[in-house]
Amino acid sequence: MNPLQFLWLVSLVIAAAALTVMFGLIVARLLSVRHDRAQAAERKRIAPMVMAGDLAAIDGPVDPHLLADLSAELIDMVRGDDRSAFVASATRMGVPDEFRSRLKRGNARQRVTAAEALAQFPDSVSRDSLQTALDDRNPDVRLAAAMALAAQDAAPPARTLVDRLSLGTRENSLVMVGLFEEIGRTRPDEIRALILDEGVADTVKAAAIEALAGTGDYSLVAPINDLALGTDPASPALPRYLRVLAQFEHPGGAGAVRAALDNPGWATRAAAAEAAGRIGIVDARGALAGLLDDHHWAVRFAAAEALAKLGPPGLALLGEAATSDQPRAREAAALILAERTGARR
Amino acid sequence: MIDWQPWAVQSATAIALIVIVTGLIQTGFYIVQLVYAAIALSKRPPIARSSVLWRRYGEQAPPVAVLAPAFNEEVTIVESVRSLLALQYPDFEVIVINDGSKDATLQRMIDHFGLSPVDRYHDLIVAHQPIRGLYASSRIPRLLVIDKENGGKSDALNAGINLARAPLFCSIDADSLLESDALLRAVRPFVEEPVLTIAVGGTIRIANGSRIDSGRVLDVRLPRRFLPLVQIVEYLRAFLMARLALGQMQALMVISGAFGMFRRDRAVEVGGYSHGTVGEDMELVVKLHRHMRDLRVPYRVEFIPEPVCWTEAPDSLTILGRQRARWQRGSLETFFRHRDMVLNPRYGRIGMVGFGQVLIVDVLGPIIEVLGYLLVPLLWALGLLSVDYLLAFIAITFTLGIFVSVATLILEEIQLKRFPKARDLAILTAVAVVENFGYRQLSNLWRMRGWWQFLRKQQGWGAMTRTGFQRD
Repeated sequence: MNPLQFLWLVSLVIAAAALTVMFGLIVARLLSVRHDRAQAAERKRIAPMVMAGDLAAIDGPVDPHLLADLSAELIDMVRGDDRSAFVASATRMGVPDEFRSRLKRGNARQRVTAAEALAQFPDSVSRDSLQTALDDRNPDVRLAAAMALAAQDAAPPARTLVDRLSLGTRENSLVMVGLFEEIGRTRPDEIRALILDEGVADTVKAAAIEALAGTGDYSLVAPINDLALGTDPASPALPRYLRVLAQFEHPGGAGAVRAALDNPGWATRAAAAEAAGRIGIVDARGALAGLLDDHHWAVRFAAAEALAKLGPPGLALLGEAATSDQPRAREAAALILAERTGARR
Repeated sequence: MIDWQPWAVQSATAIALIVIVTGLIQTGFYIVQLVYAAIALSKRPPIARSSVLWRRYGEQAPPVAVLAPAFNEEVTIVESVRSLLALQYPDFEVIVINDGSKDATLQRMIDHFGLSPVDRYHDLIVAHQPIRGLYASSRIPRLLVIDKENGGKSDALNAGINLARAPLFCSIDADSLLESDALLRAVRPFVEEPVLTIAVGGTIRIANGSRIDSGRVLDVRLPRRFLPLVQIVEYLRAFLMARLALGQMQALMVISGAFGMFRRDRAVEVGGYSHGTVGEDMELVVKLHRHMRDLRVPYRVEFIPEPVCWTEAPDSLTILGRQRARWQRGSLETFFRHRDMVLNPRYGRIGMVGFGQVLIVDVLGPIIEVLGYLLVPLLWALGLLSVDYLLAFIAITFTLGIFVSVATLILEEIQLKRFPKARDLAILTAVAVVENFGYRQLSNLWRMRGWWQFLRKQQGWGAMTRTGFQRD
């Protein structure tokens, strides 16, 4: 057989194989339609009993997959005592066993949803399964398992998680902010320690800072200010530090903000200008007025907004800039003033 | 039987081999893409429920500006904008750009949404035709309408980029229908790799035949006419196989103009959308690749397999042919504008894989395939080629074509199951076979027309008449 004949033969074989597989899938789909209908009917039948937490009232065997999915959906829909009651009855019905099995043997999508569902079941066996899932081959599963453990206040120490999940090195998801928030609810010191830890990446520090920003704990302002002052001026995490300082609106962050107003990076200058406005650093108004002529639009916009937020001293400078001979500054000042007053130019 | 001179036989053999080898390389690309697409789907499976997306990504999702250019869309604009305003996303703004419509597109929006003229401080960094006015309403703070002089879609999008204040923008077609959770799905790579991700494309699906109400696809059904049906198979190959795989390889060369999410600062750095091309979507992505590679900054351009946007496929040969010729012209314009990147190791996998695929599939593919249809049977009939060459040609054009299309359907059914009925699968399988006999050849002729238009430096989009979605 020459190569041309071989090509012809191979093409026939693989095309026929593809059509055969597709035919099999169509047949499987036809058969699954009946199964899906039966599942829908079964779901309708058992839903009232599951909602009542009375498995004994259900006649005949119950499909554990269906029971687990239904329970997870119900638990997701309610809060407070109702949720606790659903969780207790789902536990009695063996729902956590099904999710543990999925977490061990399911595909990636099933493992992620199983880890998320197990967050509602704080028994020791489920926790062990989630601990094992922290070493899953799929990063989404690892993160979901960590989130579930954190929701149960059973997550390993934050520093251990950073290493185990490769946070800041291979895993950079902003979801880690939510993870740190969850851990920080009961163990804020562990998250705080990450901020000062030389061994963790800037992105992890930024996530830790953002996670703690909502706590309103002003004792964090000084360390964040120091961290921002000591960070490489080119670090992409620096604007994130400044935005958190803005969120605190505490004068303790003024040092880092002032220093960043002439940072070489436009994103950092814009974040610093925004922070200056929110903290109300009135003595930065001269620098902010200078930034109205910045070459980057986002900086001009943030500086103009910040001046407007500073009240009369800032508004006076905006008014001056609106009639100045610097076109960029004039445009920024005049339009921000117009936006704030609703007046048209 | 004529006794041909050896040089004639050798020439005929060389022609046949060029056609067969090019076809084999193309098919080889497709098979590699199928493998990569399967890997992408297993590594990062789509998330089924919007509530899960919201829980996972809602808190960290950055603000997005949705840019919707509109030209002469008075009939549908209000419904389109209402559907955009109803998107599920924590923080977004809808910027509609009225690109100098000659009908009442602007007035319909002003009347319906109670808009009035406003001033807004904005960037002037990317070039576009002058803005005539901005309109907003305090009742609907998410909506901003830009009224500008006509300059085409890329020009309108540039105006939107200038006005956008969010770090991300999402460019769409005003007449496309977005899934309500489209932004949440598309933002996922930006949340997961916030520093590296600069652009994300999503899957576009064909809405012909489906049941639609209030700008939402309620019931997915197959169209009855052959042309939209065959385009469903084509879109599956283009999105589920090619773009997903190229995204996985980090060599994605085009993000559809119907839906793409971009980091605003990076798009601004490359000058926004380019004028003077009909392939402005591909051009932007290639400019981003070039820019990031020149800067030597690591980055990612991602593709998500979930359907985010529904579009109306042309159902007449004239309009479809015009669209395909335009797509071909757009590919060629970008390819030749950036020819220094082609197979250039300095541009890594973009130069070698991305442009390699464009060269084989889009630039050379149609020419060589059409030559094959003309010459291989002729040379065989004249006795210059043995029947083996004819069979090999049939293998690369028909049987391997069937394999690639059916294999994409298999991938769809195993991983996504987006077609609700077994009957739909059977119909699409039949279409995947039939399209190789007639439609594929016609499609190549349209692409040759695109080549001709490119060589004649023809500009413009041509009329794109739509019949409108079937709405409840």
